[in-house]
Amino acid sequence: MQIPIKYNIRTLFVRRGNTLMTIASIAFVVLVYVGVLSLAAGLRASLGSKGDAANVIVLRDGARAETESYFEKDKFRILSTLPGIATGPSGEPLASGELVILQILKRSDGSESNVALRGVDEVAFLLRPAFKIVEGRQFRPGVGEIIVGRRLAERFPGLALGKQIKLGRLEFTVVGTFDSGGTFDSEVWGASDDLGNAFRRENTYSSVLVRTGSPDEAEALIAQIEGDQRLKLSAETEPAYFKEQTTATSQQFVVLGNALAILMGFGACFAAANTMYSHVAARAREIGTLRALGFRRRSILGAFVFEAAILGLVAGVIGVVLALPLNGVSTGTTNFLTFSEVTFGLRTGPQEMIGGVLLAVLTGVIGGLPPAVSAARREITALLRER
Amino acid sequence: MFQLSLKNLLRNKRRTFLTGASVSLTLILVCLLGAVLTAMESAEGSADNRIVVRSAISLTFSLPESYWQRLQQMDHVLAVTPLNWFGGIYKDERPENFFAQFSCDPQTLLDVWPEYQIPQDQVATWRQERNSFICGQALADKYGWKIGDQIFIKGSIYPVDLTLTLRGIYTEPNAPSAEKSIYFHRKYLEEALGNPGQVGTFFLRIDSPDNVGTVVQHAEAMFENSEAQVRAETEKAFSLSFLEMLGNIRMFLGAIGAAIVVSLLFITANTMAMAARERTSEVAVLKTLGFRQGHVVRLVMFESLAVGLGGALVGLGLAYVLVRGAARGMENVFPIFGTLAVTPPVALLALGLGILIGLVSGGFPAWQAARLSIVDGLRKLA
Repeated sequence: MQIPIKYNIRTLFVRRGNTLMTIASIAFVVLVYVGVLSLAAGLRASLGSKGDAANVIVLRDGARAETESYFEKDKFRILSTLPGIATGPSGEPLASGELVILQILKRSDGSESNVALRGVDEVAFLLRPAFKIVEGRQFRPGVGEIIVGRRLAERFPGLALGKQIKLGRLEFTVVGTFDSGGTFDSEVWGASDDLGNAFRRENTYSSVLVRTGSPDEAEALIAQIEGDQRLKLSAETEPAYFKEQTTATSQQFVVLGNALAILMGFGACFAAANTMYSHVAARAREIGTLRALGFRRRSILGAFVFEAAILGLVAGVIGVVLALPLNGVSTGTTNFLTFSEVTFGLRTGPQEMIGGVLLAVLTGVIGGLPPAVSAARREITALLRER
Repeated sequence: MFQLSLKNLLRNKRRTFLTGASVSLTLILVCLLGAVLTAMESAEGSADNRIVVRSAISLTFSLPESYWQRLQQMDHVLAVTPLNWFGGIYKDERPENFFAQFSCDPQTLLDVWPEYQIPQDQVATWRQERNSFICGQALADKYGWKIGDQIFIKGSIYPVDLTLTLRGIYTEPNAPSAEKSIYFHRKYLEEALGNPGQVGTFFLRIDSPDNVGTVVQHAEAMFENSEAQVRAETEKAFSLSFLEMLGNIRMFLGAIGAAIVVSLLFITANTMAMAARERTSEVAVLKTLGFRQGHVVRLVMFESLAVGLGGALVGLGLAYVLVRGAARGMENVFPIFGTLAVTPPVALLALGLGILIGLVSGGFPAWQAARLSIVDGLRKLA
């Protein structure tokens, strides 16, 4: 027979101070764990636009990221005549030559970082349907206008809407902010000729983004580009490229989060064990009575493990609630593969929350198990004799 | 008196152990985070009389080679040497095969880094052979390279692959992390690229640290109206700028550390309160026997201090071992962490925290015990 759940919940209240302390300590562990996971999730979301498998990114052979890639514009002309490239509404090939430049800029806290500037032409927007202007308007080429990723505009005061900023040797005006739903939100976009001119990179592109009809055609195009000795370019599908950019950076935070969770979890397990031991010790006579009434050892064990699990659950929920304000907090770091700033919002999603609660319950159960076993093991007579 | 305290600690061994262990664990975490933060902020191997000059736009832009001479002619400048970060791939892209590769000018490199120790004959051969390189002792040990060995490095930033022969091994006892680089001829790279005459960074050695500020100002002013403006800064500021790029990750680590300490406080305070509550009647007996309030307070405090300090010592010991392991594991992923260590300040902080936790968590029960009236206490003896 099972011991009523009510019994466990009520007993948690009896030793209130003690229970609260334990809940607090487990909740803090959950807070830290969820915080680090949110950091990783936010970073992953900001870097990890999934990309379209029919899109191909072309870089200079050997370059690992757009920021270290550059090649002459002639190659772009050869590229855009290759078969398999889809065409836009007015028949133009959907191939976007883009110039990516890193410029040191100041964050709002005064520290500095490399921000990626991307010079594009109109076709770039046809290739990125998710792209939309949030505030202000689209830039006009030829007059030194730029648009800025939404989060970047928040973190870099020089890039706020309406501001004038010197990039390279020219002055630019921020006329709009945009949301691309991913990677590009950490970038500044302007006309490729304008940015090329400002940095004296008129004759080079860093990458070409090409749209094909299907993932199969994309693979065929990749094979063709890499096989072409004139070009000395390498190509891969958009999803593959994005994945490379993401894993290394966000993985570090997942590893950090897990390491912290394991170590802190141990500490919290000890706290839970301590509390449960004291619960068991204080209720020796009660346990004896329960046993005398005919409850089995198994039921006693179950009841105490359950009690510990509830303890963990409550702590987990509190920890997650404490972590919720972190959601959306804007921050930034450098992706060392592209050597450029990634601004992102912490993201406390369902996955992170569930992870936190599970950790707490697990902590409670692991901590509660030894005391529960010792409670179940003792003889009725010994239990009843305690005061 | 103390004996009684010790006996009390041993009375509930399990609890003492659990509390001590949670103190240890959390302090291990504090030490680890502290070590990481310290490692991030250290700029090992940077001299206070070296200046870095680079493009004002960002490190991905280079400077004309002609700046070399103009920098050399400045007052207080003893030597100037160009360095380009090659950033190629050795063997594969795994982080453990990452190390710094610089194209340099063999004639002047050692004028700017006089602290590098390398046999003269090795320097001579290295200077003569265009496709040779020198590397630090630590790197040579890691890959088992010997003089005369050839290595292949695939270019990534530069569209050039390198085949290099090892001609010299230098040591830098004061900055082990500086021994994890290779230096090869910039002429080799320049020729492969068609002699663009571009330099990533210039390193300047200044006659005295006092003149660093002046030189920095003059260097920046000198190229103000040139085609490529420069940023000049001390070597240390240059190293720290990479850290700055990491953004407020540091703040996050600090916040995590604080959260850990708070949760630790809860855990120990909880246990100490439990221990004290269990002994209410004992305290009453002690008081009846004539022990003063002060005695009782000291008794409880000593007990919690012992747990806090004991836990801290064990935690510190384990942290030393762990951090050393982590340093070995991490140095390949993040070279900056190769120097990971529990530095004295971090150790002191951990010890201090252990004592503080002991004091705080013992404080409340001690106060309760002191205030306890004998009659109330004895009544609890059911």
